[in-house]
Amino acid sequence: MKKPVIIDCDPGHDDAIALLLAFASPKLDIKAVTVTGGNQTLEKTLRNTKRVLSFAGIKTRVAKGADKPMMRELEIAPQVHGESGLDGPYLPEADFEEEDMPAVELMRQIIMESDQKVTLIPTGPLTNVGILFSLYPEVKENIEMVSLMGGAAIGGNWTAAAEFNILVDPEAAHIVFESGVPIVMAGLDVTHKALIYDEEAELFRNQGGKVSVMVAELLDFFFQFHQVGGYEGSPVHDPCAVAYVIDPDMFESKKYAVEIETDGEFSTGATVVDWFGRSGKEPNVEVLFDIDRTKFINMLLDATASYE
Amino acid sequence: MRIPVVIDTDPGLDDALALMVAFASEELDIKLISTVAGNQTVEKTTRNAAKILELGKQDIKLVKGASKPLMREPVYADDVHGDSGIGSVNLKEPNYPISLNAYKEIYDVAVQNKGELEIIALGPLTNIANTILLYPDLKDYVKRIVLMGGGYAFGNTTPAAEFNIYADAEAAKVVFESDIPLVMVGLDATHEAYVLEEEIDGLFTGENKTISTLKQLMMDLVDVSKRFKFGNAHMHDLLAVVATYKPEVVEGDYHRVDIETRGKVTYGKTVVDKYHVSQKSRNVYVTWHTDRAAFLNLLRDKFGYFNQECFNE
Repeated sequence: MKKPVIIDCDPGHDDAIALLLAFASPKLDIKAVTVTGGNQTLEKTLRNTKRVLSFAGIKTRVAKGADKPMMRELEIAPQVHGESGLDGPYLPEADFEEEDMPAVELMRQIIMESDQKVTLIPTGPLTNVGILFSLYPEVKENIEMVSLMGGAAIGGNWTAAAEFNILVDPEAAHIVFESGVPIVMAGLDVTHKALIYDEEAELFRNQGGKVSVMVAELLDFFFQFHQVGGYEGSPVHDPCAVAYVIDPDMFESKKYAVEIETDGEFSTGATVVDWFGRSGKEPNVEVLFDIDRTKFINMLLDATASYE
Repeated sequence: MRIPVVIDTDPGLDDALALMVAFASEELDIKLISTVAGNQTVEKTTRNAAKILELGKQDIKLVKGASKPLMREPVYADDVHGDSGIGSVNLKEPNYPISLNAYKEIYDVAVQNKGELEIIALGPLTNIANTILLYPDLKDYVKRIVLMGGGYAFGNTTPAAEFNIYADAEAAKVVFESDIPLVMVGLDATHEAYVLEEEIDGLFTGENKTISTLKQLMMDLVDVSKRFKFGNAHMHDLLAVVATYKPEVVEGDYHRVDIETRGKVTYGKTVVDKYHVSQKSRNVYVTWHTDRAAFLNLLRDKFGYFNQECFNE
């Protein structure tokens, strides 16, 4: 039976690839895509979501979510994703409109009406999910898991101690991590191993179809930023959160108690992993540490090829 | 040339061993030992330091330092180091002179050594911070501070913080922002500086009461590691002492390190900017790894010192 899924995202190059991966999978039944501000402003991430789906010929429900974090101003990442949030390929405007309903209402409706427990895959700041859990705690009962891209057991990428998605809305992250819902954290520990090397963009381009070529162009742009940062390849963060739901055996992981720092001077947004059980808290997060990179890239290649 | 040092310490099981290694190291010229509240109360850490000085047959000036952190109530590690602060080891009550006025003593030693002095800090950084706050020109006289504390990837007192920094994060902040060159011997390296239970005997030659005491201190650390699920018995403070004169025992590089003093779950975290995202100046030599074989060889070599006749009684 297919897993019912809601994707909450802020495209974003890796978000776009995550969407394509998710919709190509016969194991997933994507009920909706909800959008948040993050990599770019909400207006842009919404436009990007619709353009990617439209370009790939995907029909689904899209709803607009929060335009800013629960308690802070929005911080965006144009240095990574460009002015549009999805610089690189040419993507025409979408041929459909988003729902009238706000993202959180749509999420609630889908979750409450679903016979099967729903899986949430957030690949941006956790604002929409945080608001959902605060406003409608009853949804938690019918959630299978939250497989999210964010955080890091060790280190950070936006500050020394924090990864971008968690840093942007640490209060929302705190709500989600304390929610009691099973959480899978695809953080920098694993996503920095989910690298696509510059020359591997050609594998996508050589598949020939327009979606594969578009992905290659996304990777070309994405690599420019990471090359300057000294990376050997581009860490393709967000598809990891999707890949785990499709095939968890691709990953190495361990369950730990993880807490979110919301008040630090230097560590706000840190996902603090309790390695030695010092906090006395029950493990609440399956932390991903490693990935079978070859399998992962083949999965992405197959997914993009399936659109032609 | 021997390195003139002040050792600031809170014995402490590994502090006690570290002091003994320092006594046995001809590379170091120990000018002063100052004590601080940390693993236990300052009364106890001072008494323990005195006991260890007598055990090591030393004649080094001992000065009692801060009884509490800069801005907080003290936290002790008696769960690790026991009620006495040195585990199960029973040493006779000391009769060793104890000076007061630690900050002035530390400052005076620094001035006397004209910029060559190094400080080996094995406990919370309260004394060092107080000295910096009292004597802002201290930085002109201290060549560097080698400290055991902090960690990049994990903590041991809380998930995010190591004990020495956690016990007085405000003091750590003063020290880390002092512009004095710093070497941080943190958990990343010290968790590789472990001794296995079955390796303890091999670190010593000969048998006498002093050597038995050293072995017992190590066994206590083995017991601690089992109780706390830390894996192995880590020789934290010993590594900081030997790294002072034998830098190749550890591997590290320079980074920006800030001390978290406000976080709810990260209070006392040493925030190491490993990928230089902050663009701030690099203020700390952060150690990442230990050459364990070299470390153990060095310990074996230094512990040989206690095989002398005078330690037989």
